[in-house]
Formats: sequence, structure tokens, C-alpha cells
Amino acid sequence: MTMKFHKHWKGIILFLLPVLVLYGMFFLYPLVFVYLVSLMKWNGVTHMAFIGLKNYIDNFRNPIFRLALGNNFIWAFSLGIVQIALAALVALILARRPKGWKVLRTVYFLPNVISKVAIAMMWLAIYNADFGMLNALLKVVGLGALETNWLGNVSTALPAVIFQEVIYIGYFMIIILAATMSIPESFYEAAQMDGATVWQQERFITLPLVRGIIVTSMTLAIAFGLRQFESTFLMTNGGPANATMVMGLQLYVDLGSLDYGHANAIGGTLIIIGAILISGIRRLFGEREETAEANQ
Amino acid sequence: MRAGLDPVGRRLGVTDVIAKILKWSVLVLFLLLTFLPLLYLVISSFKTNLALQVRPFSLPVVWQVSNYVEAVKISSLPLLFLHSIIISTLATALNLLVTTMGAFALSRERFRFQNVILNLILAGVLVPIIAFMVPYFKLISAMKIYDTIWGLIITYASINVPISLYLIHGFMGSIPVELEEAGIMDGCSFWQRYAKIILPLSRLGLVTAGTFVFLFAWNEFIYALLLTSSLRARTLQLGIQFFKSQFITDYTSMYAAITLTIIPSIAVYIFFHERIIKGLTSGAVKG
Repeated sequence: MTMKFHKHWKGIILFLLPVLVLYGMFFLYPLVFVYLVSLMKWNGVTHMAFIGLKNYIDNFRNPIFRLALGNNFIWAFSLGIVQIALAALVALILARRPKGWKVLRTVYFLPNVISKVAIAMMWLAIYNADFGMLNALLKVVGLGALETNWLGNVSTALPAVIFQEVIYIGYFMIIILAATMSIPESFYEAAQMDGATVWQQERFITLPLVRGIIVTSMTLAIAFGLRQFESTFLMTNGGPANATMVMGLQLYVDLGSLDYGHANAIGGTLIIIGAILISGIRRLFGEREETAEANQ
Repeated sequence: MRAGLDPVGRRLGVTDVIAKILKWSVLVLFLLLTFLPLLYLVISSFKTNLALQVRPFSLPVVWQVSNYVEAVKISSLPLLFLHSIIISTLATALNLLVTTMGAFALSRERFRFQNVILNLILAGVLVPIIAFMVPYFKLISAMKIYDTIWGLIITYASINVPISLYLIHGFMGSIPVELEEAGIMDGCSFWQRYAKIILPLSRLGLVTAGTFVFLFAWNEFIYALLLTSSLRARTLQLGIQFFKSQFITDYTSMYAAITLTIIPSIAVYIFFHERIIKGLTSGAVKG
């Protein structure tokens, strides 16, 4: 072992250096920066002044931040529970290889390669109060009474923004489907011999075996919920009356007004909440798995 | 057999029929949710603004190709498109260069702190990078590459270091030692072992990781918004948000512009969907 280390140490250092430099610049330095500056009063220009946890306390006393925090939890729940449940449902159906399942798999994933920005702009058109597809559709089917300014109405804005992300189940559906299809056929054959119904097979064979991948998917989906930014920024910009505000957007607003202390306190809160939620879920389900697909 | 229902003419029970109906309802529902909005967008993009309001669901009477001409003229799409291609390509190249070198050292050699380094970097996968807006802004400004394509290139390459390293390290780790030993016998140096033996054998891993990074860079919005301020380095995704102010009330031309930004993604997906789906699922099946 030491022999090898001596033999190639120059090469190893040379090869590790670039990756360590980039990681240091874009992960370690920002992490230290966020937590350090979150304890300071700073506008980015003048001297920093240490003020302890004041920025965090201010944030939690700020009704807009509390609204954003609550909305982030609603996002995390909608993606982590509702979207994953729908993705798992479709995955279990496709795993039984109905006619055209391969085509369906490819089609369901298609929206996931389109940018969230373009998707959000598309839904902006659909929700448009004056000539959007949704209101027109309601009128056609005789539900004209339900017509509303979907993104301008305090009670419908958040559900409307969340809806256009939740329905695109392709990403998690593909992951869960792959895990389901890797279960040996013989398990099901044996169960069928014993007279198990389809429902019982899914309940007692499939679900226990794909639990790990479902937990991983939930973890990722919750992380996405905490990172929510694009859809909200483009569709409502946090409005109406902050009804759709999320922490990421609030951070961006604070940064724009050079309030770096409060902005980084939001960043620090996001990182901590993410870590707590993710480790909590893993402990709850007793799973320790690599999150291969995690990405920003 | 996991077909669930017996296809050979056996009478299906009532519950079977209900199950079948439910199953296909779910599948069709998601098919509609996937296609209808896209279809609405594309068809609307060929209409006049008047027709959009008066007959929202009918096909255009005259297909307004002029909307597309207008879209390209107003939105400077070709320039944005060029920026996006350059940034995504270079970010992917930089990311792959750096992570393949790192993964090579971490998977084909043994040294102290090896696992510490690996796990430290992989932990980055879980960090919500949106929390890093202020430090990234400061870092890029300090490097004097604010509002340049280089700022976005290095940011996109770096953000994806953990995921790429994870995928490529896993791939390189599974290459048999014997293949490399043959090279050592032939007198390959450290560099040659990387460039001539391990790298070519990791081709598929590179394609998977590269697809990830490219798609990320192509679709990224937050840091494009934060780290650029003018047309000089504006990407396609960032450009889309300006459509709202550029087209004002010319909605159908705006839909044409949005359609144009979606087409490349769909085209790439049509050609590479098997590769993309395989890349997504390779991690899942291992788990």
C-alpha cells in the first residue's frame, strides 16, 4: 500500500488537484461562507459586524419568511408524498408490461428533459385569466362558474404552481420502474401458484422489495421541494400577497437588496432543514442507500 | 407470467374488468397531462392572437408561420442558442476532464484518506446549491468573470462534480485490474494508463455523466439569472423569461419562441432516450 503511494504520489496529487480545487471553490468555501456571513450584519461592501443568531431570529419573526417556510414544506410534501405515490402507481402498472409500456415509459419522461422554465411559461399561458386553456376548457364542459384568475387568486395560486410540477412524474417513475422490473419473475409465479391476487402480489412482494428505492426517491423529491425557485419566480414571483413565496426566492430578494446577512441565514436554514428531513426519512424507514440520481 | 389478466379468452371477472379500466384510466390520464399542454402550446403558436382568444381549441385557419419569423427577430434566439451550446459543451468537457482524472486516482490507486476524499465529494450531491447564491455571486465577481460565459461554464462544471464523480467512479471501479496490469507490463506510465486504458474503457460511463451535465447546463436557470446581466452571456433559459417583456401582448409569437426553445431538448431526447433512461436506472438497480 505504502509502496504504491510512493510510486505514484506525484500522479495522484496531480490528478486529484483539479477536482479538489473545484470542489473546494464551489462546495467547501460556500458552505463556510454561508454560515459565517449568516452570523454577520453585512451589505457586501462595508465591514462585517458579528451579531450572533440575530439574522436567523429576524427571519423567523418575519411573517413573509414564515409563509415561505410553510410553502416549502407544502412543496416538499407535494413532491415527496403525492408525486412519489403517483410515480409508484404508474411504475407498478408499467412493470406488468401492458401493451405499449415501453412507449409510455419514454413518453412520460419526455417533459423531464424540457426545462422547467419553458414548462412554467407554457403553464403561464394555460392559466392565463383572459384566454388561457384552462378557463376555456372549463367553459366548454359547462363548468364556467369555476373560471378564475388561477395565478392571481390567493387561494389557487400555490396549488396551481405546484400542480404543474407534481404531474410530471417521469423522473421518479423511471427509477421506481427499473427497480420493480429487476424483481425476479419467479417470485410472482410462486405467488400465483399459491393463489395470490394481483393486488396481494404488489402489496406483499413488490412494495417491500422496492421500498429502498421509494425512500431514495422521496428523499430526492423533498430536496427538490426545498430548492423550489424557477416555477415560482416565473409564474407568480412569490405573489399574490406572498401567497406563493418560497425560501429560495426570498433569499434571492434579500441578495438583491444587498442584505447578505439575512440572505445567508436563509441559505443556512435551507441546508439544515434539508439535512434534518433527509436523515429523518432515512432513519424512519431504516434505509441507507446511495442517492445516485440526486442532482440540482 | 406477470400479465395479470388471462388473455386467452377466459371470462374476466367484474373486478378484473374494473381493474383494467382503472389501469388504463391512469395511463391515459398521464398521457393527456403530458401531451395536451404541449399540443396546445404548439398549435397556439401558429394562430393569430385573435384566433387564440376566440377559438382556443380549434386548429388555426391559416397557419401563421410569420409568428416564428417574428419570434426569432424579437428574441435574439440564435445568439442565446449559441451561448447555451457553447456553455453546455464546455461545462461538460471541463467537468468530465476533472472528474475522470479524480475518479481514476480514486478508483485505480490506493492511498491514505482515499475514502475520506471520495465521501466528502460525494456528500456534495445532497447540498441544496440554491443556498449558495451569495457565495457564488461573490466568487464569480472576485474572479472577474461576472456576466461572461466563463462564469457559467466553471459554475456548471463544478456544481456537477459530485454526481459525475459518483457515476464515473462507479464505472471505473468495475473495470478488471487485469486489463490495466497488461498495460503496466507494457510500460505504460500513470498518465498513459489513464488516457490509453481506463478512459476508453469508461466510455459508457462518460456518456451517462456527460448527458447529465449537459442537460443540467442546458436547462439551468437560477445561476444564469444570478451570474449574468446582459446579452453578452445570456443563455436560452434565461432568455425565455424576457419573452414576457419582449413580446408584451403578442402571445402567439411568444408561444412560437417557447416552442423553438423546446425543440432541441425533444430532438436530443428522441435520439438519446435509451441512453438517458439507462443512465437514470443504472443507479436504481444497483441500490
